[in-house]
Amino acid sequence: MELLLQTLLNGLLMSGVYALVATGLALSLGVVGIVNFAHGEFLMMGAFLSYLFFALQGLDPLFSLGLAFLAAFLVGGLVYQGLIRPVLPAPELNQMLLTFGLSILLQNLALLLFGADTRVVAPSYQAATLTLGPFFLGAVPLGAFMLSLGLLFLLQVFLTRSRLGLAMRAVAQNRLAPGLLGIEADQVYLLAFGLAAALAGVAGVMLSVILYASPTVGFIFTLKSFAIVALAGLGNLKGVVPAALVLALAEALVSTYLPGGGGLVEAVFFLVLFLALVGRAWRSP
Amino acid sequence: MRELSHLPFLSFFLLLFALLPFLPLGIWGAFLLDVGFFIQLFTAMALSWDLVARTGQLSLAHGAFFGLGAYGAGLLAPHVGTLPALVFGAFVAGAGALLLGSVTLRLHGLYFAIASLAFSEVLRTLALKLAFTGGPIGLPVPPPFGGVWPLAAYYLSFGVLLLATALSHWAEWSPFRLAQAATRQSEAVARVLGVRVVRVKLWSLLLGSLVAGLSGGVYGMKTLFLSPYDAFSLGRAVEALVIPIFGGLYSTLGPLVGGVVLVGLEQALRLWIKEGYLVVYGAILILVILFLPRGLVGLLGRRRG
Amino acid sequence: MRKALGFLVLLAGLAWAQTALKVGVILPLSGASAVSGKAALNGIQLAADEVNATGKAKLELVVVDDGTDAAKAVPAFTKLMTVDKVDIVIGGLVSGVTFALSGPVKQYGPLFLVIGAASSVVEQAFEGYPLFFHYHPWDYHNVAAALQFFQYLNREHGAKKVAILYEDGPFGSAGIGVYKQQLEKLGYQVQAEPYKTGSGQFTAILTRFRAFAPDILYWIGYDVDALPIATQARQVGLRPKLIYGAPPSWPIGFERNPLSNDVAGMTAWLPTLSNAESRRFVEAYRKKYGEVTEEYMAPMGYTIVKSLALAVEKAGSNDKNRIAEALATLRMNTPFGPLAFKPSDTGKTRYQGFGADIWFQFQYLEGSRRPVFPKDKASRPLRYPGEYYLR
Repeated sequence: MELLLQTLLNGLLMSGVYALVATGLALSLGVVGIVNFAHGEFLMMGAFLSYLFFALQGLDPLFSLGLAFLAAFLVGGLVYQGLIRPVLPAPELNQMLLTFGLSILLQNLALLLFGADTRVVAPSYQAATLTLGPFFLGAVPLGAFMLSLGLLFLLQVFLTRSRLGLAMRAVAQNRLAPGLLGIEADQVYLLAFGLAAALAGVAGVMLSVILYASPTVGFIFTLKSFAIVALAGLGNLKGVVPAALVLALAEALVSTYLPGGGGLVEAVFFLVLFLALVGRAWRSP
Repeated sequence: MRELSHLPFLSFFLLLFALLPFLPLGIWGAFLLDVGFFIQLFTAMALSWDLVARTGQLSLAHGAFFGLGAYGAGLLAPHVGTLPALVFGAFVAGAGALLLGSVTLRLHGLYFAIASLAFSEVLRTLALKLAFTGGPIGLPVPPPFGGVWPLAAYYLSFGVLLLATALSHWAEWSPFRLAQAATRQSEAVARVLGVRVVRVKLWSLLLGSLVAGLSGGVYGMKTLFLSPYDAFSLGRAVEALVIPIFGGLYSTLGPLVGGVVLVGLEQALRLWIKEGYLVVYGAILILVILFLPRGLVGLLGRRRG
Repeated sequence: MRKALGFLVLLAGLAWAQTALKVGVILPLSGASAVSGKAALNGIQLAADEVNATGKAKLELVVVDDGTDAAKAVPAFTKLMTVDKVDIVIGGLVSGVTFALSGPVKQYGPLFLVIGAASSVVEQAFEGYPLFFHYHPWDYHNVAAALQFFQYLNREHGAKKVAILYEDGPFGSAGIGVYKQQLEKLGYQVQAEPYKTGSGQFTAILTRFRAFAPDILYWIGYDVDALPIATQARQVGLRPKLIYGAPPSWPIGFERNPLSNDVAGMTAWLPTLSNAESRRFVEAYRKKYGEVTEEYMAPMGYTIVKSLALAVEKAGSNDKNRIAEALATLRMNTPFGPLAFKPSDTGKTRYQGFGADIWFQFQYLEGSRRPVFPKDKASRPLRYPGEYYLR
């Protein structure tokens, strides 16, 4: 029982970061309509930003959180203006290839600048642990989880209370709506894409503390985010958090209870996804 | 007949590949033959991906078909010889495709893409965990026909390309094309038009997977070694998708031109730019999409809408 | 007459010293193993510069990138053979890629000086090939070296239980069966669990290990896993007496991280080694590149070129067979210790350079890696138990 609860806790904590990254992807997919293969590269930028400030200035990654948000927002905005906007009318596959090219470009720029080495930061609280009776909670994963939830809550408030946010949701639900509301779709797209990048950037800072910074750190998160977004239903922002939770819990349960489970985590992640997609498609005719 | 106007281009490329070993290329001959080998295989992969994409199914499982074919052929080749092993590998890939296709019939676009990605990842883990595949250590594969004929691997890969081109060309210029295009644009409308949507989708996926499986089988016989991470790599599927978009979608000429240019370009950039060549590679992909939205064949001017 | 002959010989000698010997270098400069590949290339170029500066031999390097991918390595290798027409190739860092090269190597027959490729399946692929010189130890050497350490831990420190985390790719899984068996033979209780490298998710497995209460937490994986393991072991309250790892390289900045304290690992070389060749190498490396490398592939590449130059000098010829003969009987000191070729333990290949004895164990102590085992290489005593236990 104790082990089960600890396992569920582990899964729960991991789901926060998953949800944060995947929400960004869901924003760019649902609002802008772009399948962004370079999403994980915004995350990678956040991780490197955190590493650089730590290694050169001794700056705590906590400070990098805000900086990464702004920097990724800016880069995301530029990418939108320079690359995404021109291909918005193009077929979906062309957009996919564009973002794929962007992903290769950014990864290899990072490789040129920093090399392929794995880099780590060392804030004092890195391995700090909260003990609740028999349970252990890593302070950093817990903090990342809370922060992710906080950000997602703020995003929710923004989407439901502000005019721009409402417009964004309107676009996500119906691509014709913004025209009716008299809102510049372009502005909404820019904001959504920038926000998507910014969320990934923040997640990158967190991951620089939990994992590491390297040019390829983003890839697996792009992959998992796609899985989460697909499970939630494309463009369904609200479904992202539960979907992230389902997949994170599945991972945690497998690696705890299956013999040799550590090597099966990804397979199970994708098996759950596969069954969910197929099951849903066959249920609803 | 305007529609057959691509045939001279296709024949030109195929003839070029067929004669490559006999062209007077001087000291570059052997190198170009090796590059040509991989261009043919990856172009065949791209053609088979395009064949599937014409029904609107964005396959990310081509790496898995490739891996199934590679392992099927690699495991059997020491016992039954080269050609039967390759055919067996292709059938294994085909069986995988039918399994995937029949359960994902109702998934479209990105949903299908992600389901096929998931399928591919699960299969890779299986190859890693099952005992008879050699697991993570990998599987040595004998060269084709006991290695007696140096050009064997090259002409096997040419054969795969020829088959892929023929299938793709047939699908492009037969009534099958209309069925595929209708399925892609709207399955509901296609049904009303009397297209057997299920059959078209499954056939396309099956044919595509057979070609991908053959590519995998021949690949293993050249690299002499398979590992799950290499054979089932997602990168293979992504390359199969990048080439058609780069060259021009839903056609035979597009993937063919795309494969020759892109795989060749990658080899050339790596040898001559060396460090950071992938930055240039990524930039070229972006530029082509921005300025040639129809891919390289867009340069040729007219295309069907 | 004799004088004239002597003069002719001298002239001939001068002639070959003047004509540069073209040496092909095929390494992963992009892709998954780029870090090791670039380190190796730095070492190779440094040694080539030194050799050319002495004037005793003249080496001209032709470098190609194998992209850590068989499909890229094979054409690149063919180019070295047919376009650049080299007779000698240094390369073969990654096992899978090296296996793919076995076909073209046998076809073109160069002198192949292999820098890595530890997997013994590669040894089978090159069985019977006469010009195969393998410098790096084989995987069974790695196992033997680690087991020696475990034997010491068992005998001197009473360690009895090992929990093994191994990544599920070829690197982690290849020797795992042998490891388990041998450790049990030494009297250990063993629990082994696979994981996916780079996932950073160890809490579940480590939580399970807690009930087992291992003396040693041993992970066989990559640099990306180092910090997550050190962090999460503490977070789940696992208290091994030793955290021991064997990745090919370690993360940058890990030594400055307090969590690395007392983490032990295995390597073939450290810049702090005190042997004369190593000190000379570190100095020369710093002079050329302005930094100190931590990657053992750098001195490995350096060693290969140095040994090649000596063999060329000894052979007095640029002919690959004569050079191979000279190399086979060469004895030299290297940053790793003495080098001499002998048939491999399995008898499958004839020229094996280094063996289990170049491996040694180090520990992160006060922000740098220091050799702690075996005794003849240790600069500090092993701290056992480590601070992760003492907390």
